[in-house]
Amino acid sequence: MEEIQQTIEMDRLNHGRFESWPFSQDFCVTCGLCSSSCPASGIDGFDPRKLVRMVSLGLEDEVIEARWPWICTMCAKCEHVCPMEINIPGMVRSIRGLREREKVPGILHKGLDAALKTGNNLSLPKEDFIFILEDVGEEIADEPGFEGFKVPIDKEGANILTTIHNKLVNTHTDDLKHWWKIFYAAKEDWTVPSDNWEGTNWGLFTGDDAAMKTMTGRIVDNMEKLKIRNLLWPE
Amino acid sequence: MFELLIQYIREGRIKLDKSKFDNVLATYHDPCNYARKAEKLFGHGYFDEPRWILDQCMENWVDLYPAKREQFCCGGGGGTMTTGYNAERILYGKKKMDQIKAAGAKMLVVPCHSCHGQINNIKKEYEMEDLEVKYLWELVADCLKV
Ligand code: SF4
Ligand code: SF4
Repeated sequence: MEEIQQTIEMDRLNHGRFESWPFSQDFCVTCGLCSSSCPASGIDGFDPRKLVRMVSLGLEDEVIEARWPWICTMCAKCEHVCPMEINIPGMVRSIRGLREREKVPGILHKGLDAALKTGNNLSLPKEDFIFILEDVGEEIADEPGFEGFKVPIDKEGANILTTIHNKLVNTHTDDLKHWWKIFYAAKEDWTVPSDNWEGTNWGLFTGDDAAMKTMTGRIVDNMEKLKIRNLLWPE
Repeated sequence: MFELLIQYIREGRIKLDKSKFDNVLATYHDPCNYARKAEKLFGHGYFDEPRWILDQCMENWVDLYPAKREQFCCGGGGGTMTTGYNAERILYGKKKMDQIKAAGAKMLVVPCHSCHGQINNIKKEYEMEDLEVKYLWELVADCLKV
């Protein structure tokens, strides 16, 4: 972020540039409470107060290119202490949304893109997904007390539909078992959809509202298709 | 999620063995999204529900300081596990790890995939390999009497 030490041409400033944003960034009184509360303050020179000021001044290119909005975790500690109730996490998310999608750091956009195309972040084919679920289900059935356990897939009219976090069918399959064991013990009538089961919704992180809506809409579609009224979405 | 677990316990649909972790001092981390942010967005933050569930699973656990609304973020939220800015993320987590150390806890219970991944990922950086990180529903499943 060396650029903030550089001279900024006055004609680059534009107070009105982000005036349509509903985050109250122009109300900032520069008290610095947000910066004191923020666990990321000081990392890479980051400081939420500075970011608020940059948005308020309309420094569009600078905030879009900055790494700061991607280091912030949108934890909302700053907002919680801000006397002017400025929605800093919301502002950070909107800044992220302004980046060219190909320049979104790491695997965030790639994962989301895969999810939009294939229904899950891993592009895991349906047969493989079902194989993993059934395999883990058999492991549970082998444990004392869980005899006869089976994973109900696409069960119409079940009481609860659950989504799955992609890491649980990737590197952490043992973590699928906890909820399933609880369901077994509670004699719950539950199910997992075989398509569009992805529980994460990375549009939340990349500032992509359209993608979030698509991902959420698919879950609702699954519920309607299978005639299920309750959703467990622990991601 | 909290409501469902509470319902199962209240209605007696699941029975829990409270003595399972008698010798492990546990603590609880409030994820930003279920706690502070839920309160702001939906008018209700899940502060008390997870603590009630913990009370049903064990006799002894301690809160972190600060907790609930003032809780420190784990550093793994907002997609930071996947941006590739790992050095920054690890540094961010220092406050969290210091807080857990100060509580003397050997087990951290969390109801969030991001927090779980982050703490497990950074514990070696802070010489806390022995810290057991557990999902809240994993704790419940571990305590099931079947
Ligand atoms: S706490 Fe709010 S008013 Fe104070 S500096 Fe931060 S954003 Fe501005
Ligand atoms: S939301 Fe971002 S800026 Fe605000 S306290 Fe958390 S990490 Fe800091």
